[in-house]
Amino acid sequence: MKKVGSLLIVLLLGVCLSAANGEDYTPGQKINKDYETFAKQFLANHCVDCHGETEPEGGLSLNDLGPVDEVNSGIWKTVWAQVTLKEMPPPEMLQPDVVERLKFSDWIVDELKRVMRDKGGFQAHLDPDKGNFVDHDLLFGPLPDGITLQPTSSPARLWRVTPEEHITRLNELINTEPEYDPKKPGLRAHGDAVPTNHGGELKLYFGTDRIIKWQGGTVAYATSVKSVPAVLSSARDHGLENYPHFSTVNSAEATQIMTVAGDLLRYMAYGPLSIANPEQITDDPNTYKMEGDIRGLPTALVYSTKIVRPLTPVYELMKAENVSDEHLRAAVDSLFESLTYRPPTEEESNQYLAIVKQSVDKLGKEEGAVLGLSAIFLDRDALFRPELAEYGTPDEYGRVMLQDWELGLAVNHALRYIKPDAQLRQAVLDGRMRTKEDVKLEVERMLADDSIRKPRVLQFFRDYFDYDLGGYICKDSRALAETGVSNRGTSHYRSMFDATASTDRLVELILKEDKDVLKRLLTTDQVVATNSDQIYFGRRRTPDEVKASIAAEKKAQAEETRKLKAEIETLEKEIVELKAKLEASPEDKALERMLTKQTKELENKQKAEKKNKRSNTNHNVEPADLSGPKIFARVSRRSFGNGSLKPDRILATVPEGERLGILTHPSWLVSHSDAMDNHAIRRGRWIRERLLGGGIPDVPITVDAMLPDEPQNTLRERMRVTRENYCWQCHKKMDPLGLPFEMFNHAGVYRETELGKPVDTTGEIIDSGDPSLDGKVNDAIDMIRKIAESERAEQVFVRHAFRFWMGRNETLNDAPVLQEAYRAYKENGGSMNALITSLLTSDAFLYRQVKPPAQRADQKAGDKDASKVTAR
Amino acid sequence: MINRRTLLQGMAAGACASFLGQLSPRQLQAASNHQSTPKRVIFFMQNQGFDPKTCVPEGMTSSGSLAKAKLPEPIEALEPYKERLHIINGLHGQHTSPSHSAFFGALGGYRGSDGVPPSAATIDYEMSKVLPQTLLPHLCIGMDSIENMTTKPTIATLSASGAGQPIFMHSNPNHLYQMLYGGISTGDIRQQHEAQSNLFNQIEKLAAAKGESLPLTDQLRYGQYVQGFEEINGLRERLASVSDHLRKFAPQVDERYTKPEFETDWHDVLLDLGISALKSGITNTLTIGSGRGEIFGAWKGLGVEQQGHNLGHMEQPDNPIWIKIRQYNSRMLVRIMEELESVPEGSGTMMDHTLIVYTSNNADKQHTSGANWPVMLLGNFDGAFKTGCFTQLDGKRPINALYSSLLCAAGAPCDRFNMNEQLASKFDTASGPLKEVLV
Repeated sequence: MKKVGSLLIVLLLGVCLSAANGEDYTPGQKINKDYETFAKQFLANHCVDCHGETEPEGGLSLNDLGPVDEVNSGIWKTVWAQVTLKEMPPPEMLQPDVVERLKFSDWIVDELKRVMRDKGGFQAHLDPDKGNFVDHDLLFGPLPDGITLQPTSSPARLWRVTPEEHITRLNELINTEPEYDPKKPGLRAHGDAVPTNHGGELKLYFGTDRIIKWQGGTVAYATSVKSVPAVLSSARDHGLENYPHFSTVNSAEATQIMTVAGDLLRYMAYGPLSIANPEQITDDPNTYKMEGDIRGLPTALVYSTKIVRPLTPVYELMKAENVSDEHLRAAVDSLFESLTYRPPTEEESNQYLAIVKQSVDKLGKEEGAVLGLSAIFLDRDALFRPELAEYGTPDEYGRVMLQDWELGLAVNHALRYIKPDAQLRQAVLDGRMRTKEDVKLEVERMLADDSIRKPRVLQFFRDYFDYDLGGYICKDSRALAETGVSNRGTSHYRSMFDATASTDRLVELILKEDKDVLKRLLTTDQVVATNSDQIYFGRRRTPDEVKASIAAEKKAQAEETRKLKAEIETLEKEIVELKAKLEASPEDKALERMLTKQTKELENKQKAEKKNKRSNTNHNVEPADLSGPKIFARVSRRSFGNGSLKPDRILATVPEGERLGILTHPSWLVSHSDAMDNHAIRRGRWIRERLLGGGIPDVPITVDAMLPDEPQNTLRERMRVTRENYCWQCHKKMDPLGLPFEMFNHAGVYRETELGKPVDTTGEIIDSGDPSLDGKVNDAIDMIRKIAESERAEQVFVRHAFRFWMGRNETLNDAPVLQEAYRAYKENGGSMNALITSLLTSDAFLYRQVKPPAQRADQKAGDKDASKVTAR
Repeated sequence: MINRRTLLQGMAAGACASFLGQLSPRQLQAASNHQSTPKRVIFFMQNQGFDPKTCVPEGMTSSGSLAKAKLPEPIEALEPYKERLHIINGLHGQHTSPSHSAFFGALGGYRGSDGVPPSAATIDYEMSKVLPQTLLPHLCIGMDSIENMTTKPTIATLSASGAGQPIFMHSNPNHLYQMLYGGISTGDIRQQHEAQSNLFNQIEKLAAAKGESLPLTDQLRYGQYVQGFEEINGLRERLASVSDHLRKFAPQVDERYTKPEFETDWHDVLLDLGISALKSGITNTLTIGSGRGEIFGAWKGLGVEQQGHNLGHMEQPDNPIWIKIRQYNSRMLVRIMEELESVPEGSGTMMDHTLIVYTSNNADKQHTSGANWPVMLLGNFDGAFKTGCFTQLDGKRPINALYSSLLCAAGAPCDRFNMNEQLASKFDTASGPLKEVLV
């Protein structure tokens, strides 16, 4: 609390001083200045010396740039990025003061928004990739004079549900997931997200928990079972994927949702009978004769008779002989709540009841009820989650605190994909979801209970680390073979989807302990592993070692063959002798038994001799010695017959000196690779943005971002092109942070040589913002150890958590929230739970801006309350 | 150097482009291709592979005219149409992982596999965007066993409008009929159509009402959602408004719809519906998935008792089963051509402005590396494609190059389709369209 107290004093001092000199800057308030009197002067003072008319730096002339307009908007965007990130003016030149820089940056954004309003708009500053454009030191350090913060809030808004949320929500209608088993905490349980299947596709499966027999193999099974892919789309794959303004629902998606709704309602009503014939539903699979080859057909499945799907009022409605208002109303209300997570208002209930009745009148009960109820799947609140705060009176900053269902669902959504549990629901109904204390109580209760699954927390780590993309990186077959891992069939991709589930589990294990969470994720020596991870966590052998391994195996095989031959010869002799003895004593049963035994043994040995000696050994990789207790990882429902992803894992220790933390695990490394090689730039960018809090401007459109195709050269050598002056300004922020990961090849296998020479794993941390971090590093492990100790990395982690849970980028007004969240994390020993609780009880989470904040003229009265809000 | 002058110059060029962009698609086509007739494209994807020996005339090993060649038995139905035919052998799709089907990758030109979501839009969708706008931009129909078409009437395995955005194909002809011709239907279909229309109208009203007081920033995004219903309802209303026109093209609903004896009854009527959608102008892009992109499928109506996976394990050449299936496909192709020929358009017929792309989502066979991906083109797309010939390529250009050619012929030239330079350096020896197929 001491630090926060000091900050408040500083803030208040800032407020007083600023108010006194009349030069206040309040983040988020419009900069009422024009080009001629403000921006042109800024350019003249700080830019045109180098970017003048003659021989301008970088070929960019700013002397006649002019006010922001459609023509020069691209250049202004570049100027905005360079000035905001303090890349420009260069260090040796006269620097604008902090407030001047902030005002100039805000002015450009305001102007770009105004000019581009009818031309697709300007939203770059809202993208999570630009979150770091807010100066880290201003967020976490003392504010200079002249800056007045305003109590924070988030905009009133609608969030469209994500594809995962939507599928998980629909899954609740037709599948009963197992309850959480504390003895097997890794197994997927009720409340966990529906994960992607064996091929990485997000699908909803019908009735797989009742399938007890099928004809054919894996592909036949995958074709026979009923499944529907995710209908809602998500255009993003790297970084934070779900800001409210990212997505909507288009007409194609709406149409498809209607189709899926019909399928779901029929399954809710009739179970497997909606997709199978009656004779296929039996507990004795032998009673159902599968005539001929029916692989891949829905008739090639046998379902058990045990009802496992949830039985809801929809089931009761369809089971009843007649249609009654009571049944219809119950079905409408229950389905509405299952899809929107709140009970319908009376008006909503009446509206949908009327719709269903009309359909039933037109088409009869069976068809009509299905069609009418389908409408609820397209209710706004079944696809979007509103945070509109259309109640109460806004405070002087235009803010209203969320309450009741909006607040309850916001809290629920912060942690979960399924509907609020009974306690949270009751809290809302009882009017106990209106204050910060109410929220704290519920958040702490849910965080403390492992049986309440919290897939949103895991999703944050997926978004933050981006370790879940490996299975989607299409590998060149030959390049993959060169890494040493198998390139046969879909083996590598399957391993990567397994690896994602494994890393998920490792994250959960670290969250379970809830101590120094970020540091542990970065430096853990643990790995959740499958069998194939012995190769992926192994060491790539050098060509000589490969030869030696092959020779050793041949030698061992030869020795085994020689031994076998000798044993066969001995057995043959013994059998001849036994036969002779038996001829002499045909009644001797013991002899007879001995002869039978020896003959059988001979046959076995002969079979072993003839057996194909083709080796399954992977000579290219020295396997890692991974062993440890058995645990489980969360994988999808059976999607590929016996070839479906398996939950079985072990908790092992990584090879010492070769791996450290999840950035050195193949799931992360492959996610940050490409078809042919490592992606050092993307890896470096990850370190720069997610750990060091640095911002990277967009690639200029004039840049042809291609490395030369030189198979004889290493990636590091090919990346010489990024060292050209023009490129290096940005690439120095990324490349030296990504190249230390060259200690792994692009399948994530550890290596000591590359193209026959010792691999160069050196790198450098340049201009990190924390001088104690800057300097050369020997390899990725050296770099990770260094950064993991850094306070800055933890603060940057907190910034990303803020973005994830608030659904927006931070502004300077959020500084108190961020500092409090960091304090909570730190003072609780690096506790994620403390961090989340702090964020979810902050003004940024609780308040919605429903009208524009008061302008500067009204500021004085508000300043007092700013401190109040900060102190909450 | 970048300064205001160069920016203004760039802007002037951009203004030309945006002016072109404001023209109607038909005008755009006229501007780029000097032709004013509409165009249409049909993709026919037979699963389990397309063995070149079942289409390349015997003895034909190098490129040349088909005039004197005799088409092999499986495609002999196309013999009278061979002046419209272009058989292409020697494209490849090794990067699409087509063994056991490339799924979305077949029309996308990227890695696909069972359970792998689409990583980008497929060529049929891209073509539908480029071709002159129609009421329904893109129609996909899927043919499978009757059991699969009944229990899973809409699946998505072949077409996509973007990464992670599958397009569902229609397999229940009753549903499709209702969608296309509900407004002119009678009986049960009419009832269902009216009930569904009423429902969607009410959903639109409810959705609009819940958007009235949204914050300014959300209005546009939510507006797109409401607009989706307007589009759905608008399509139905537009179809209703041209009901007299549609009546001329709507197929008769008979027992094959309601009581199919074999799955091929539904295949036939689905094709009828697809053709009618083209002839009536409802759509100009049709994708037909025979076997629905997977490695199963059934053709009992042809006397093929074996189904599904086993068919893919058989050699196709000289195989009576595969001859039957390919002959069935060929008859379907002939039917499409005859029907489109029967409709006058411009100075010729609809078929003159049409291209049919016939191939497999499995390259040349079920278990394949994709080293060879045979394709047949039918029609010349308003003179854009060479016809009456066989082209033997060297196996070094990917199917993506064919797709670039299609886009080029449709007036949207691109050097590469869904292939970045890095992949192209491994999988393509050239760039741009296939010069061997374009006039």
